[in-house]
Amino acid sequence: MSLDIASVRFAYRRNTVLQGVDLSVAEGGFCALLGPNGSGKSTLTKIIARVLKPADGTVAFAGQDLLAAPRRDHARVVAYVPQSGAAPFEQTVREAVLLGRTPHIGLRPTRHDREVVDDAVDRLGLTDLRDRPLSQLSGGQAQRVLIARALAQQPRVLLLDEPTSALDLRYQIETLQIVRSVTREEGVTALIAIHDLNHAAHFCDQIVLLDGGRIVADGPPAEAYDPAVLSRVYGLDVLVNHGENGVEVRPSALEPAPGVIGAPAAAGARTAVAAR
Amino acid sequence: MATPLDSADTVGSPRAGAPPQTDVAPASPGAPTGPGGGGGGDRPAGDRPTDDHPAARPRAAWAGRTAVLWTGTAVAVLVTAWCVTAGTSNAGFLDVWRSIRLAVLGGTLPADFAQTYSIITNLRLPRVLLAFAAGAALSLAGVVMQGLLRNPLVSPFTLGVSPAAAFGAALAILLTGGSAGSGSWLVIGSALGAALAVSAVVLGLASAKAMSAATLLLLGIALTQLFEAMTAALQFVADENTLQAIVRWTFGSVNDANWNDVMVVGACAVLALPLLLWFARDLNAIAFAGDDAAKSLGVNVTTVRVGLIIVSVVLAAVVVSFCGVIGFVGLVGPHIARLAIGADHRYLLPFSFLTGGLLLVVADTIGRTILAPSVIPVGIVVAFIGAPIFINLILTRRAAQ
Repeated sequence: MSLDIASVRFAYRRNTVLQGVDLSVAEGGFCALLGPNGSGKSTLTKIIARVLKPADGTVAFAGQDLLAAPRRDHARVVAYVPQSGAAPFEQTVREAVLLGRTPHIGLRPTRHDREVVDDAVDRLGLTDLRDRPLSQLSGGQAQRVLIARALAQQPRVLLLDEPTSALDLRYQIETLQIVRSVTREEGVTALIAIHDLNHAAHFCDQIVLLDGGRIVADGPPAEAYDPAVLSRVYGLDVLVNHGENGVEVRPSALEPAPGVIGAPAAAGARTAVAAR
Repeated sequence: MATPLDSADTVGSPRAGAPPQTDVAPASPGAPTGPGGGGGGDRPAGDRPTDDHPAARPRAAWAGRTAVLWTGTAVAVLVTAWCVTAGTSNAGFLDVWRSIRLAVLGGTLPADFAQTYSIITNLRLPRVLLAFAAGAALSLAGVVMQGLLRNPLVSPFTLGVSPAAAFGAALAILLTGGSAGSGSWLVIGSALGAALAVSAVVLGLASAKAMSAATLLLLGIALTQLFEAMTAALQFVADENTLQAIVRWTFGSVNDANWNDVMVVGACAVLALPLLLWFARDLNAIAFAGDDAAKSLGVNVTTVRVGLIIVSVVLAAVVVSFCGVIGFVGLVGPHIARLAIGADHRYLLPFSFLTGGLLLVVADTIGRTILAPSVIPVGIVVAFIGAPIFINLILTRRAAQ
């Protein structure tokens, strides 16, 4: 059982974003989608979430075609965590999480729906905030509400579109820990579009590197991070260290200067930039 | 693969403090695991997303709104009944009740009650009920438009519905030389036709060009200006009598209410409520989560949006064609309801029905009693009441942000 994406193509009018993406994520796996801005990672998550319709290609989970299924059926399998944005109307945390039950409920939520919501609220550590209006939450808390909403959907596949970009370090780590524990404990397959290569290497089982709408690397972090490929994709020289705590990617520009002669030159260059 | 995976477990498990639920991930040799181990152990326990919180979970917040809804219904019935009694000729609650009983169940009409009965059933009741139905319909339309366009400052007239209807009515009045009154079918049909036509154009353009809600609003503003200019042009060429008829129509009133009007407007409002409630779940998803997230929650956003906008346009157009231009109800009714019962459309829709209806009934009662025996059109009174409320809403909104 796995999430299988085959020859997915997508274009915004004449601007091609994805040109034939093939990707397979094992059930219960945590896969990171990496790549520079505009590489198509956000677009790919939106296609799997059926926010966008691909020009071509298939997305299937456990053999079930996800793109052909009725939307409601799809939403019971796949949940999507967008980047958090302001809602125009006031809502409490619990009401916001209840939206995750949309594909499950009929006219109104049942007792079971409310229990699922309360469980998701508890799981994300939002218990004390559950009757608080969303406008009073911090960015990290608001992001957790969106994840709780996705969990209340009780999905088999969890998609996250750069959930950590707007968060401080602590919430970035917490968010990734939560998603990881969901994949481990409930066997949910997670796919996350993310910018931080080292966070991805630390938390994810599989790394997929996109460049210009194509996959250029796919595999476990230690194998997928190739300094030459990364340097080309990001247009920046990087070093990959294989340490005992896993792989680590560093821009070579941040390496300590090799010799005494190099140091004043670098300092001089910085001063020159600052003076402008 | 094993190294990053296992070290992540140590830091990553939010349940590090709960030994029976340790992670299922395989512990590879040498992986430093255990409660409190790793970088996650020094965070305060309260911040951890654990699921071992106290079992006591007050669920009161889930209930309560139903009670508000029933209370609102009771208040609406009482206030409406009181508004029937209000006026120059004396009539009490009992007279109203007696008249309704006589009208519905039949029976002999005593001679001393005949005049009161006639006033109540032929003048007051249709007037009050038409006001309620019109207010309820406009308010429902407002809730739907605000939710679908995710903008709390939108009203049913935003898409140019009201100015188009006004133009249609003015055209019909002008072409018949002012002989067609505001209640005539020709004027109603012309207003309805113009309103529906302009909404069809707006919606057609919106779906063909895949417009955003903001573009839709701008288009509505442009059309509003256009139709207002066209109505003004008609007024410019009209003679004295015709001009008066057009102007009277644009005030918006329930002065000539009859049972036929009540039936049509009332039926629209009463039928629309359950229809909209059926889509309350989808409306919630679109209004709160936005288009993208609503799609991922299983909502057919485009279909729902077009369908519900058509419903709200029909509601607004029917009211405008029967009662003229009555502003602010569609804007303020939903806001008052939102303050009272929250923004969940499952409760907001019926409650807006009540607040909009009540607002217009009360405004009309004030309009016909404050300077009695002369009657101020409800469209004017409601603007006097609605504008301060709306300004207050805008100012408090600013302050809250």
